[in-house]
Amino acid sequence: MTGVPRDIPRSNGELVFAAPWESRAFGLTAAYLAGRDEDWGRFRRLLMDAIAEAPPDTPYYEAWLTALERLLAGDGVLVTAP
Amino acid sequence: MSERSERGHHPAEPSAAERRVAAIESLLVEKGLLTSDVVDAVVETYERDVGPLNGAKVVARAWVDPDYRDRLLADGTAAIGELGFGGAEGEHIVVLENTPAVHNVVVCTLCSCYPWPVLGLPPRWYKSFAYRARLVREPRAVLAEFGTTVPDDVEVAVWDSSAEARYLVLPERPAGTEGLSEDELVPLVTRDHMIGVVR
Repeated sequence: MTGVPRDIPRSNGELVFAAPWESRAFGLTAAYLAGRDEDWGRFRRLLMDAIAEAPPDTPYYEAWLTALERLLAGDGVLVTAP
Repeated sequence: MSERSERGHHPAEPSAAERRVAAIESLLVEKGLLTSDVVDAVVETYERDVGPLNGAKVVARAWVDPDYRDRLLADGTAAIGELGFGGAEGEHIVVLENTPAVHNVVVCTLCSCYPWPVLGLPPRWYKSFAYRARLVREPRAVLAEFGTTVPDDVEVAVWDSSAEARYLVLPERPAGTEGLSEDELVPLVTRDHMIGVVR
C-alpha cells in the first residue's frame, strides 16, 4: 500500500461531505430540483462542464457550486452581477 | 484583500464557498422555492439513511436466491426496487457480475455518476481527477493502490458510468460462507466491493 497518491484516499466509511457547506450545496440542489419535480439531467450536464473547465485540483464541490449557480441563472432565479 | 489576510485570525470568517452557498440558500428561501427544513431533511437522508448498506442487502439476497440474482442481472433497477430501494439516480442501474474470469470496476470519467439508492453519495476519491483519469488507463495499477491484486488470467473490465447506466458490481460470494444466512452475509459486503476497487 505504498505510493498511494494523496488524492485517492481509500478509507471506507468516511464522511460523505468534507465540510458543512458541501452538504448544504448538495441539499440545496436536491431540494430545488425536487421542488420543480425535475430530475438531475440538466444539473449533471452543467456539473460535467464545470468539472471539465476547472483545473484538475479544483475541489469537487467548488465545481458543484458553479454548476448550481448556472442552473439558477438559467432559470432566471439568480441574476448574475453585470 | 485585507479580509482574506485576516481569515487566519478569525476562524469564524466564512470562506468564499460558504458565502456563495449561504447567499443561494437565502435567495431560494426568500423566493419561496424551498425551505431550510427541506434542505436539512435531504442532507440528513443522504448522511444517515441512504448508503452502501442498501447495496449490501441487494448483494446478499443475490447470493442466497438464484432467481433474484437472475432478475437483478436482467433489470437492476426493478430488482433493487423489490427490496424497497429506489429514487434519484437509480433509474438505470446495471448490475455487473464478477466471475472467476472477469473482475468489474466502475468509474465516472466525466463527473460523478453513481447509483445513489444502493451506495449513497460517492466517496471523495471516486470524484477525484486522479481516479477518473487513471482507472481507464491503468486499472490494475489503480486497483493495486487499493490493495487489490487481480491475477493476470482474470480480465479487468472498466465501466464508465453515465446518465444511461449506473453500475453496481455484484462480487463473488466468498469461499467458506456456504453456512451463512442472508443477514450474516450483509456485513461482508463493503462499498468498495460494489464499486469494484476491492475484490
